[in-house]
Order: sequence, then structure tokens, then C-alpha cells
Amino acid sequence: MKKIIIPKPQNDSLVAQLESLYRTFINIRPRENLNFDLSSLAWVCPLLILPISAYINNTQSDCEINNSPIKSYLERIAFPGGIDSISLFQQRIQKHKSFIPISILKKDAGSSRERLEALFEEKIYNILGNVSGAQSAVCYPIAELVTNIFEHSKKDAGFIFGQFYPAKNYLDICIVDCGRGFATTYKEEKRLKLSDIDAIFEAMKGNSVKPDKERGYGIRTSKKIICDVLKGGGFILISGSAGLVAAAKKERLVSFPNFYWQGAIIAYRIPKPLGPLDISPFLE
Amino acid sequence: MANTKKSYKKITISRLLAPIISSRDVVTILEKTIEKTNIKLVDLDFSDVKFISRSAAHALLLMRERLQAKKDISFINTNEDVANMLRVVAANRIIPKKQKPEFNPKRININSFFKEVLT
Repeated sequence: MKKIIIPKPQNDSLVAQLESLYRTFINIRPRENLNFDLSSLAWVCPLLILPISAYINNTQSDCEINNSPIKSYLERIAFPGGIDSISLFQQRIQKHKSFIPISILKKDAGSSRERLEALFEEKIYNILGNVSGAQSAVCYPIAELVTNIFEHSKKDAGFIFGQFYPAKNYLDICIVDCGRGFATTYKEEKRLKLSDIDAIFEAMKGNSVKPDKERGYGIRTSKKIICDVLKGGGFILISGSAGLVAAAKKERLVSFPNFYWQGAIIAYRIPKPLGPLDISPFLE
Repeated sequence: MANTKKSYKKITISRLLAPIISSRDVVTILEKTIEKTNIKLVDLDFSDVKFISRSAAHALLLMRERLQAKKDISFINTNEDVANMLRVVAANRIIPKKQKPEFNPKRININSFFKEVLT
């Protein structure tokens, strides 16, 4: 089994976490069994740790955390296995109040999965404080991005994780699936042959793979709510060998040579809201 | 408006599904529950439902249209956020927006991007 030492991010920005993620998975064969070594990490955020958790769960890969300086943190967030039930989620939250566990949402679980996702969302907006409109602003992107997994990925599980950093006053959220990805979805549903980068472009333009006219709002409206309503510090979407990075009022479509994520990764950072929020001007 | 006749079925959404309705596919659970009942008048009670996603609201409205020959479905006790979402989606269903959004980001290789942002 190939050993991968996860590189330490250069700083605490989302882009630095993205760089570590890229370097972790560069030149990896599809579904290759890996042994992840986390010993060099002194700090980690959802964008880096959740895809590794999803990869381990999806490929029966392994990890080494005993020598990691963040071993106790990793245990508190249920890395790498995550939790997939309401009772386990509640037990974890009782035991480790400031840590939300990595949660696995299973399609077949139906209303139980919906309740687990609701618990996750409630925990997130409780952390952010009782600000008018925060509930809708927090729930909208999570709900839309998670439902996309079950509608498009053809996988029966999605991964979700969030971490609030009280000293920095921001929250990071990451949502991951190991499904067919954007380009394959367009190919299989609409017979459109698109590169990974063009598939992301089409999704952001609102061109749904579904025939209904009033579809295709989920990702782009979520991004607007994250960046414009929640004043997000960054939004990253990766599928296959491409990604969209939106930060500091700039948007880039980025190609990732020698890298391929089977499925989709979405991560974003939002500051703790200081005043009332209103998503209604952005609803379409 | 809620059904006032005695022969109606009330379904409490937060109990059947969840207090936050996110996913489009859970609407099928609701649809099966409605179809099982032989009563025509059905109240979907949204008490304790804090949020509904756009996708789930869309699926709910489609379900209502599918069942409208057999069932008379009312949405009751919706909070302001849930009511707003249902109204926006219903309005867009009747008159969909034609204009596609502007989206023309610069394309860049990841290594150039890291160099630009991280150094």
C-alpha cells in the first residue's frame, strides 16, 4: 500500500488547504489503496480532512494517526470512519460540545438521513448565534449541495463536516461525494461530452442535467448565498481534474493536472454573522 | 387554507420527514404516505419545520400537481421562510426566468494559481 504523507498547509487559508489536498492526491491511480500519514499536520480544516475520510471509506484505504499531533482532535471528529446515525451524532455532540463529527449521509436511510442532516444544520446555526436570517442562509447551501449528491452522483452516501474556529470567528464546511462527477453526469444524462472544467462551467451557468425548465439553481445560488449573503471567505468546488475557486471577489476555473477526484468536493468558509441576513433577494 | 371538513388527513411533516427538509428524494416518502390514505382532503402540517430547500419545495409542488386529480392538498402552518420558498418556487414554475447568469471566470492552471495566491 502506497504511503502518502499529507503535506502541512502553508497557512490557514482555504487555498493553502487546497494546495495540501492537491499534493496529497497528485499522481494517484483511480481507487488506489493508500496509507495516509498525518504526522506532519499540526492543524487541519474540513477541506483537507473530509476528502481523505471519504477516500478511506470509499477505497478501504488506511491511515496512521498515532504519531499525529492532532490525534485527539481526529478522534473527536470521528476521523476517518465518521458516524451515520442520529444517536451516535447526539452522543458525540454531548461528549465533545465544540466538535461536530464527520457525518455520513446514506441515501437509503430516507427520513433518518434527513433528520441527521437537520441535526448537523441545527448544530451549525446554533454555533453561529441567534442572528435573524442565519438559519436560512446556513441551511440553503448545505441542503442544496447535499441533495445534489443524491440526485446526481449515483452514489448512496455523502460526507459532510464542519468546524467552527472561535479564535478566528469563522466556520468551515465541506461536502464530499465519491460519485460520477460533473462531466460524467452531463455525458450520461444529456449526452454532452464536456471536459471537467467545461462541466463545472455549465453547472455554474445553471444548465441542469435534468429536463425540467426550472432546475439548475442549486450550486450557483448556494455560491451566491455563501459569497454575498454570508460574506464568505471562499468557495471551492472540485470535480475530476478541475475546480472553481471563488475568493476575494475573484472567480477562477482551475485545471488540476495529474489529479483526479472521482466525484465532487465542495468547501467554503463563512465568518460568524454580525447582523441580520436575508437570502430572499437571491432566491430564484 | 386548512381543510375544515372532518374527513381529512393531517400529516405532520417534521414528524414524518425532518424539521429541515433538504433533499428532493424524501418527498417520495411523503407521496407514498398520501397515496396510502383513501381520504381526498390532505393537510400537510409544517409546524416545527424550520426550513425547506428550493429543491425540496420544487419536488413538493410537482407532487401536488401529480396528485391533484385524486387529492386536495393544503400546506398549513408554514413559517415565513418556508412560505417564502414555496411562493418563489411556485412563481418561477409558472413563469420561469429566461435570463442565464453572467459567469466568465478566468481559466488558470492550479500551479500558476498557487503561485499567484500563496506567494
